[in-house]
Amino acid sequence: MSAFLSVQDLEKRFGTQRAVDGVSLDIRQGEFFALLGASGSGKTTLLRMLAGFEAPSSGRVLLDGQDITALAPNRRPVNLMFQSYALFPHMTVAKNIAYGLEMERLARGEIAARVDEMLAKVQLAHLAGRKPDQLSGGQRQRVALARALVKRPKLLLLDEPLGALDKKLRSEMQLELKRIQHEFGITFIVVTHDQEEALVMADRIAILKDGSLLQCGTPREVYEQPLNRFAAEFIGVMNFIPLIRNGDSLTTMTGAPISTVAPVPNDVQLVAAVRPERLEIGPLRLDTSASESARPDNRLTGTITALAYHGLDLQLHIATDAAPIIARLTADQAESRDLGPGKTVTLSWKAADTKLFPA
Amino acid sequence: MQDRKSLFLMTPALAWLTAFMVVPCLLILTLAFFRRGVYGGIEYTFTLENLRLVIDPLYAWIFLKSAWIAGLAALIASVIGYAAAFAIAALPRRNQPLVLFFAILPFWSNYLVRTYAWIVLLNREGLIVGLARGLGYEGELPAMLYTETAVVIGLVYNYLPFVILACYAPLSRLNPEIAEASSDLGASGWTTFRRVILPMSFTGLATGFVFVFVLSIGNFVTPALLGGGQFQMVGNLVYAQFLTANDWPFGAAISMVLIAVMMLFLTLQTFVAERGSGGGLR
Ligand SMILES: Nc1ncnc2c1ncn2[C@@H]1O[C@H](COP(=O)(O)OP(=O)(O)OP(=O)(O)O)[C@@H](O)[C@H]1O
Ligand SMILES: [Mg+2]
Repeated sequence: MSAFLSVQDLEKRFGTQRAVDGVSLDIRQGEFFALLGASGSGKTTLLRMLAGFEAPSSGRVLLDGQDITALAPNRRPVNLMFQSYALFPHMTVAKNIAYGLEMERLARGEIAARVDEMLAKVQLAHLAGRKPDQLSGGQRQRVALARALVKRPKLLLLDEPLGALDKKLRSEMQLELKRIQHEFGITFIVVTHDQEEALVMADRIAILKDGSLLQCGTPREVYEQPLNRFAAEFIGVMNFIPLIRNGDSLTTMTGAPISTVAPVPNDVQLVAAVRPERLEIGPLRLDTSASESARPDNRLTGTITALAYHGLDLQLHIATDAAPIIARLTADQAESRDLGPGKTVTLSWKAADTKLFPA
Repeated sequence: MQDRKSLFLMTPALAWLTAFMVVPCLLILTLAFFRRGVYGGIEYTFTLENLRLVIDPLYAWIFLKSAWIAGLAALIASVIGYAAAFAIAALPRRNQPLVLFFAILPFWSNYLVRTYAWIVLLNREGLIVGLARGLGYEGELPAMLYTETAVVIGLVYNYLPFVILACYAPLSRLNPEIAEASSDLGASGWTTFRRVILPMSFTGLATGFVFVFVLSIGNFVTPALLGGGQFQMVGNLVYAQFLTANDWPFGAAISMVLIAVMMLFLTLQTFVAERGSGGGLR
């Protein structure tokens, strides 16, 4: 089966800088796809090429099997929600939303009906008569979203659609976006800084760095099997422990052995990586009576430097001589074990939970 | 509090304007209500005769003619100036100040010099005729100097920089993504211009138009030099009343009507500017 949107070796150079550097992607019909990357990684530039505002330096874009690389923006069945919203300041909210439908020369009645429906969806019906400069940042963002959505394009590109919203409205809109996407069967490509948002909303995630695609996969794949150190760092929290290589065996800088089931890369400098929730926290004295098979594969000792509450969860910051480590456990666990700053603890984890990356 | 502060800051300017502009003008304008002395001068008896005379077809016609010429000049200057400002705003940002500087450079030279330059260009042995002959055109050429067309050309040329500056301001601050959004939503280039770019820069256009109109309708130098005294505009009429006919009361009456017309347009322009102000500009 051929992909709905196929991005082939797309490249964009600004002078000598490669803002987008050979990106290839296949996106399925109806997929919710998230583009994740640090500021300046080329997310907006990639979207602008898909929308037709930036001519690629090389590469092709196919939509539904048709080459749209050279098609003008107003002829593409693609809509872009701009990072800056780009609302029409001289038009009311309702007029802004109606604009795209007027361009399709729909009947007046239908335009009004669809605008009203959209206004209700983004909870802006009471502000329909306002001008954009009389709205809050979050309200403007919802107008921009409504203006793009109301066209029911085949492909909707959203550049940081929820950036300006507070946490509550944000999670509401995340669900609403998913719902709308499902209802209209629109294919979404959403740019976000926020890895958590990407994990929550997306069917698949692509991580961009300096214009290149580092990894692309389902949230679970990207979280559990990061392909490189950057991807591991970007999604979720990851602990990195610098390693020294002694022939086939690996140790920390201070000589503690680290075992892993992962194949050892050939690079000279390596780091071990382990997720906070994979760490066991125990008292300093080890239970020597435990049988050999129950013994954890990797073990470090360290001193708790800080506790950070995240609702039910708790992040434990621990200084070890190998690396600073973050561990995660429930607040109840922390309390029952009387964990607090200054206390010395043992950290242990399984070889299977240990990843290796070139440093 | 804020009001009092701004009043304090405005006081010098207001005092200056009042003492040297408003008061003298009012003094002159009051002359409109007095009789002209038999040998010139003023006879201080109240009359509305001067104002009635302004509406006399002979003079009303000059008013209309002036408004027509000023309107035409304003229209042409607006179109050319807007297009120029649009082109300048579309250049790479770092080149814009220099191009803008050259566009308004003539403005820094003397008004009379600039107007005389047109005489050199337009007269019977002038550069334009010379150019046509040089290109091998042998036929009859229409007279260019001392025509209504010459006056309009002179006015447009002189006031074009105003329009360019007035239009450049909003156009250069226009966020290009707003025009892109329009095209993204399916609008053609022309529709984007008509429905987004023009409305967002209309205040600049209106300001430019009104400026050219107001400055043109009262102008007397350009009609005198390029119109060759063939016809009079209101400015020339006022000039003649004060300096040749020695009929100050009638001159004051014409001025009064002229100022009223200008005020009307300036008020209109302020109104447009107020309504058009809003976000969306960078
Ligand atoms: N028109 C342009 N001219 C020159 N360089 C540009 C242009 N547009 C973008 N760039 C550069 O390309 C790189 C990628 O920019 P882009 O806007 O795509 O980043 P982004 O991932 O969207 O960042 P952010 O998260 O901050 O929005 C940046 O280094 C930027 O400076
Ligand atoms: Mg961006």
